[in-house]
Amino acid sequence: MAGTKTWNPLLVAAVALAVLAAAAAGWGGWAWYGAAHDDSAGYAQTREQVLAAGQQGVQNMNTLDHKNLTQGLDTWQNSTTGDLRTQLVQGRAEFEKQVRQAQTVTTAKVLSGSVTELDVRAGKASVMVALRITVTAPKSQPSAKESRLLGELTRTPDGWKLSALGQAPVGETAPTSQPSAAG
Amino acid sequence: MSTTEDTRTEPADEAEETVGRADAVEEPEDAPTPGLRRRVTPAAAIVAGLLAVLLLTGVGLLIRTSQLTDPEATSNTALTDTGATSRVIGDVSNTLGKVFSYTPEDTQATELAARELLAGTAAGQYEALFGQVKQQVAAQKLTLTTHVVRAGVTRLDGDSAQLLVFLDQTAERKGKKATTAAAQLSVTARFHDGHWQITDITSR
Repeated sequence: MAGTKTWNPLLVAAVALAVLAAAAAGWGGWAWYGAAHDDSAGYAQTREQVLAAGQQGVQNMNTLDHKNLTQGLDTWQNSTTGDLRTQLVQGRAEFEKQVRQAQTVTTAKVLSGSVTELDVRAGKASVMVALRITVTAPKSQPSAKESRLLGELTRTPDGWKLSALGQAPVGETAPTSQPSAAG
Repeated sequence: MSTTEDTRTEPADEAEETVGRADAVEEPEDAPTPGLRRRVTPAAAIVAGLLAVLLLTGVGLLIRTSQLTDPEATSNTALTDTGATSRVIGDVSNTLGKVFSYTPEDTQATELAARELLAGTAAGQYEALFGQVKQQVAAQKLTLTTHVVRAGVTRLDGDSAQLLVFLDQTAERKGKKATTAAAQLSVTARFHDGHWQITDITSR
């Protein structure tokens, strides 16, 4: 193998490819490591889960058909946890009676929603949802109204669920709230 | 690759794949003819194998990475970037408070604020609306006060943002009791010249 060495084109190509392959593996490893250890990426995905759960929960809680009460109220209970769920369970019989008498059908459409607070460690989050609620009572035109709701979510083994839900208060002369972004 | 100069008897394809044969001697180096054939040595086979493993590893890791980082979620820095999130909420809340508040004595301040803080579609919408309101404000001695009850960022991506804002608007005619109405707005904002400008407003 002495003398004037001619480079084998195959060898050159192989080395070049090997370098490329090593670079690809290195880059892949670096990107994967970054992604797997990137807190903000995980946080962003949790935020999306919370928003989806919050919007679905709010919609569920504003949907009820008097002809299908059991299923509807079961969905309400399954969308909630903690105090809110306890309240629902306790008030269920009375509420069922009222809806049966009123014979109303309520549907809801989420117009927009946003997560305002998310504490991943504590498993707590707050959402705000703009909603259009349509109520149809017997012998009357359906009436639609826009509603604005504030909800709190708590992480459970079955995913994020509503632990509080209420109308955003109107006309309170409280100072402008600055939603915090607790990590 | 030409096979015409190959003095060996085996077909070209086979020769390529023959690994580690005893007679796999390299062609004389002083005869670098164009159709020079070379055998695949065990070393070359190992290199090729390593190469394949490396490539597969790289590709595999990149696929795994893209699964971990949903670009829709990660490019949205609402709440993940706490500073920017507070900033856009603050700017937009201030702007809405300013441009939707006016007194009969001073509609000028409101108009000036709007000209500075609104852009794009929002500026046009506002001008059309405020032109009508201005006369009423003076004639009916109308005072409107707007304050933000709650604001949240639905999307924040670099210098553009989308927010959901809950507002209270209190209207007062001179000598009458004030009435408060709730409003929900979807707001699009753009970071420009050091602050967030509102470019579009949709009532929800």
